[in-house]
Formats: sequence, C-alpha cells, structure tokens
Amino acid sequence: MRNTKGRNAFIFAFLSPAVLIYAVFLVWPLLQSFQMSMYRWRGVSRNRKFIGAENFNNLFQDPVFWKSLQNTGTLLVVAGIATIALGVLLAHLTDGDGAVRKFARAIYLFPQVISLVAVALIWQFQLNPKYGLVTDMLFRLGLPVRDPGIVRDPRYAFSAIAVAFVWHALGFFVLLFSAGLKQISGEIKEASALDGSEGWHRFRHVTWPLLWSVKRTAITYLLIHILTVFALVFVMTEGGPDRGTETIVSYLYEQIAKNGQYGYASALAVVVFGVSMVASLAVLAYFRKDPTAGARA
Amino acid sequence: MKFVVALASIALAAGLAGCNSGSTPEAKETTTPAAGGKLTGALEVQAFQGGYGIDFYQASAKQFEKQHPDLKITVEGGPRVWESLTPRFANGNPPDLTFPGWGMKHWDLAEEDQLVDLGPALDGKAAEGEGTWRDTFDPQILALGQLKGVQYTLPYYVMIYGWWYDPEVFKKNGWTVPKTYSELLTLSDKIKKKGMAPITFQGKYPYYMIDGMLLPWAQSIGGIDAVNAAQNLEEGAWNSPAMLQATERIVELKQKGFFQEGATSMSHTEAQQEFVQGKAAMVPCGSWLFSEMKKTMPATAKMEYFLPPFIDGGKGDPTAVLIGIEPWMVPTEAKNKEAAIELFKYMTSLSVAKKFVQEKGTLMAIKGSDDGELPDVLKVPSKTLRESKAVYSVQFRHWYPTLSTELENGLTSLLNGQISAKEFCDRAEAAADKVRKDPNITKHKV
Repeated sequence: MRNTKGRNAFIFAFLSPAVLIYAVFLVWPLLQSFQMSMYRWRGVSRNRKFIGAENFNNLFQDPVFWKSLQNTGTLLVVAGIATIALGVLLAHLTDGDGAVRKFARAIYLFPQVISLVAVALIWQFQLNPKYGLVTDMLFRLGLPVRDPGIVRDPRYAFSAIAVAFVWHALGFFVLLFSAGLKQISGEIKEASALDGSEGWHRFRHVTWPLLWSVKRTAITYLLIHILTVFALVFVMTEGGPDRGTETIVSYLYEQIAKNGQYGYASALAVVVFGVSMVASLAVLAYFRKDPTAGARA
Repeated sequence: MKFVVALASIALAAGLAGCNSGSTPEAKETTTPAAGGKLTGALEVQAFQGGYGIDFYQASAKQFEKQHPDLKITVEGGPRVWESLTPRFANGNPPDLTFPGWGMKHWDLAEEDQLVDLGPALDGKAAEGEGTWRDTFDPQILALGQLKGVQYTLPYYVMIYGWWYDPEVFKKNGWTVPKTYSELLTLSDKIKKKGMAPITFQGKYPYYMIDGMLLPWAQSIGGIDAVNAAQNLEEGAWNSPAMLQATERIVELKQKGFFQEGATSMSHTEAQQEFVQGKAAMVPCGSWLFSEMKKTMPATAKMEYFLPPFIDGGKGDPTAVLIGIEPWMVPTEAKNKEAAIELFKYMTSLSVAKKFVQEKGTLMAIKGSDDGELPDVLKVPSKTLRESKAVYSVQFRHWYPTLSTELENGLTSLLNGQISAKEFCDRAEAAADKVRKDPNITKHKV
C-alpha cells in the first residue's frame, strides 16, 4: 500500500510539469477561444459584448469562409496525395543502409528542419518573375509565368503553395515510410518473392497493406499540418490573388490583423479546431483495427 | 499542439523589416514650459520602428530628460510594435505615449475610450514662441486625427503621395515629366520603345496603386468630392463615372504594356528596386521612398517627385496632393499623461521638427518646419505641397478594412484581366454597401 502511494506520488511529480504547461498553454487558451467566439470584441480594450452564436451565423454566410475552407480541402487532397505518394516512392528508393541512401534521406529531410517562414521565403525568391530560378525554367519550357508572375497568377498560385508545402513536408514522410518499410519482416519479403510477387504487385498486395499504422500516422499528421497551414500562404501569396490561395487560418489572421474582429476570428478558430478533431478522429477510427498487426517484425 | 503552434505563429508572423537610418540626432535646447510645473516619474514611449527608425525619438527624450531631471524616459519600439501594444491596451497597461504604427487600429482605440482627448492640451501654450500648441500645426493635417471633433491623435511626419522618376535618366533621353495623362501615354510609348518599362508598381500590395493611380485619377476627373463621397460611403460613389474612368485608365496602361512585366507579383521593395536600378522609368510611391531605398540605391541613381499625371479635361484640382499621417497618441490609462503630452509638445516644437525634417528627409505637420535648406529629395514634394490648393487623404482604409481588402483583391483581378473596369467598380460599390448596411461598423465622415 505504501509502495503504491509512493509510486503514485513519483508519477505525479514527473507528470505535473508537463500537465501544467499543457493546461496553461493549450487547454486554457483553447477554452478562452471558445468563450471569445461568442463575443463581439475588437481586442483593444476590455469592452466586449456577448452575442451568442452570431459570429457563427455570420461565418456560415460568409463566402470567403467557404472559399477558404474549399481551398484548404483542395490543398489537403492535392498536397496530401502528392506527399504520401512521393514519400512512399522515395522511401523505397532510399531503403537500405548504404551511405548514399542515408545521405539521400538526410537531404530529403533538410527542408523539414528549416522554419516554414524560411521555406516560404525561399520559394518566393525561386518564383520571383524577374530573377526566380523556377520561373526562369518554366518560362524556358514555354509557360507564360513572367506576367503577372506565378504567385499572383490565378492559374499557378495555388499549385505554387502546394509544391512548396510538399517540398517542405516530404522529408518527414520519407523518414516515416522508411521506418515503416523496416518494420516489414524479411520473411514476408522472402516469402512473397518465392511466390513470384515482385515490383508493383508486391507493393500493392504486400507492402502497402503492411504500412497500415504508418499510413494512419501520416494521414493524421498531414491533416493537422494542412488544416493549419499559414506561414507559406501569408509570406508567398497573402491568400491571393483575389482569395485564390486563402486558407482558413490565413483568413483567421486577416480577421485579427486587418479587421480587429477577435470574436469572429475565434469563431473561425473554433471551426478549425472542430474540423481538425472530426477529421483526425475519423482517420483514427478508420485505421483503428490494424488487419496486418501480426504480420510485421 | 500543432494547431496551437500555428496560432502562435500568427502572432509571430513574418514582419516587414524597418530600416533604421541610424542618425546622430541632437535636439536644440528649448525651454519646455510644462503646464503643470515639475515633471517627475517614469515615462514609457513605444514607437513604430519603420523607415525613420526610433533613434530620433530616443535622442529627443534624452534632451527632454535634461530639462526635467526627475523624469526617467524609456523609448522603445519595433517594426510591428502594434502587435505587442494591442494586448497591453486590452489589459489596461499601455505605455504613456505611443506611435503604434500603421498596423494599429487607432480608430478602434478612440471609439473604445482608450485615447486621451488632446484638444485641451492643444489649446495650451506652444513649446516655442507665442500662441497655442494648436497654432503650430497645419490645421488640415491636424484634422486627420479627429473623430467627431475630438482630437484623439496627433500627427508628426507627413507623407506625400505621388510618382517618382530619375531626372538624370529623363534628361539623358530627352524625356519630360508628364503633367497630364495624355502626356503619360506619349512618354510611356517612347520609354517602351527604348526597351525600358515605363511604369513599375508594388503589385503585392495593391493599395500603392489605389493611392498612386485610382484615387488621384478619380480626383482628377470628379474632384476631391468624388473621392470623399466614396470614403463617406455615399451610395453609388464607388462606381461613379469618376471611379470608372479612373479604373479604365489603369486598364488602358496595362493593355498598352506600359506596366513592368511581373510587377503584379512584386513587393514594395522589389518594385522600388527595379526603379532605382533603372529598369523602370516611373513608380508611384509616398515620400518615404528615398529613406526606404537609400541603402540599396546605386550611387548614380537619383529620384525626383511629381504629382500623378492629371486626367485631361478633368474637373478636379491639378494641384491637389494626397497626404497621409501616422499618428501619435496618449492612452487614457497612461500613468504619466502630463509628461507624455509635454514630451510630445517638445518633439513637435519648431526647432526639433526642423531637425527631424533635415535628418530624416520627410515633411512634418508643423508649420514652418520645411523653411530653409531642405534635403534634395524633399525640395519638390515641399514645393508641391506649398503650391497645392487642396489636400486630401485616404482614411477609409483604417475606417473600413473589409472594403479596403475587397478593393485590393478586385484590383489584382482587374490587372490579371479577370474582371472589367465596370466589374471592379461594382465590386467596390457592393463592398461599400455591405459596410454601409452593417450596424456594427461605426460610420465616419471625411
């Protein structure tokens, strides 16, 4: 009995700093956002007025909100599929312990370790209509990318954000899928080879199903990453041209920084939170039962 | 957790870096008649660190401290100082005197009783000479800080909007500065044939074009009343004939290929760099241009101001100048209001204002501060302002930010050929109508 008490105190002592930080910097601001979403508040004084669900009513009638939600969803599908497909492909190509492969994995990881603002600046330079390397290459390929310039051209701006996102995120997913590939037992690989399953057939029927838990992690990460994407949009396009790349979080920022509508911005934050939670829970529910659990090393 | 990190990144979003000019200011000793006598205690000043830096304000504070040894002044700032000031206002802990910069919604502060009415202080004695402090300001510029007759903010430096060219380049090529729109078309044709872009612009921030082309041309065609009617949200003012014809001029310049290729994507510094490097002949910008670009300007480059070309046959005023201010204010919850007001009175005294003009190369709201020898880059703006029969200012941007954003988005689509001039004006009018009908938005009048 005494031992149990001592053990509990020991656990509590180690857990409490983390729980405290979590409560102060995550739970409390989150609760405050919920509260603020029901107020009209300019954020410059203590004056605020309770308006119930009015912010949400206005939000659901706001065409820019729906446009930003649509853009975020499109980015999720386009950049999400591209990131996973390229992640799996590059994980296969760099699978193994050779020095070159390890070096390649490190190279792919590099954009992940630099700040997203720096990533956005790099791409802003690359896409500059006058001296951008990527603009120049695309122009030489015959694409009309110099006027108005990629980031202000409704034909290309969204793709530019998607490409920059994939470039930034890819390394992490290469690493993730590499780890997943390592988990697949050598016996399974050997057995499938003996059965004549090679190449695409083996990937489709053996490798891909066995990456079940990695896929769950990858999709959850992508969801949260993309639903909250901000710095790329803010620095590269500011949501333009004409809302063409506006995402939910960039619109949220506009409500605070430009319009001083803290209540409305909080309502947007609550929606982002809700969408993230529902989507993440849906992914976790779908991937909950791993049918291949016993098959990995 | 990622969501929280993303929200935190909002607050820490990448800012525009201000370029401090790093001067060595010294303010002339003046007798500062503190209305209430001895000034004591701590005085905190928070200032926007933009193109003119905060070094001058710090030096002024030091001079003021010498006159008031019991006063301890701290002057701090940053390029996005309003982001840290907003929560301080909300928590009732603002500084004593502040110049919060262009990002602060100062009309929200005024409407929420967060700012001191400076009218009584203005009626007090000026820091230098005879007369009241109010008499030392240009009244038209002073009016820009008033809401319903109450003086919530005070101006310091004044920005003059217009266009810029390199006189050496023009002279070498035998070009003359276009006074009218038809002259602009003729000149642009010549410049284009020389292989140079006639006009560049800061397309990433479309408000430069709104201030440099749309509104001056609407003023040319319909007079200042046409612009102010739009700012006052009068019905039909944003799609009036004056606005439509002004917008059509922008489309015409675009269609004739007189805008620099890629300018729609350029930030302010990128476009202005193209100008100072001689890749474009003209650029619309405010009088801060030299200060902003002097570090990256080639030694041989020159710049000279001119008014936006006047639309031929327009009924507006060809001498009218678009001006702007970035205001200073004293918070209601400031702990040392009296000292804050006296410090700002000292900073706006004629001798200190003249010093600011000389060192920072900008005009001031103080009468007579541009007397004497001016920096070269200021000579023409000063002369233009003195000779102008009227001034006007863009105020709707701070009053109605959603309208401003819609105008900027519409302008980008206009330049991209996605909408016509009429559709642009109709969009602007629809956005104005939305603001007009929103009972929660305070309406203002120019």
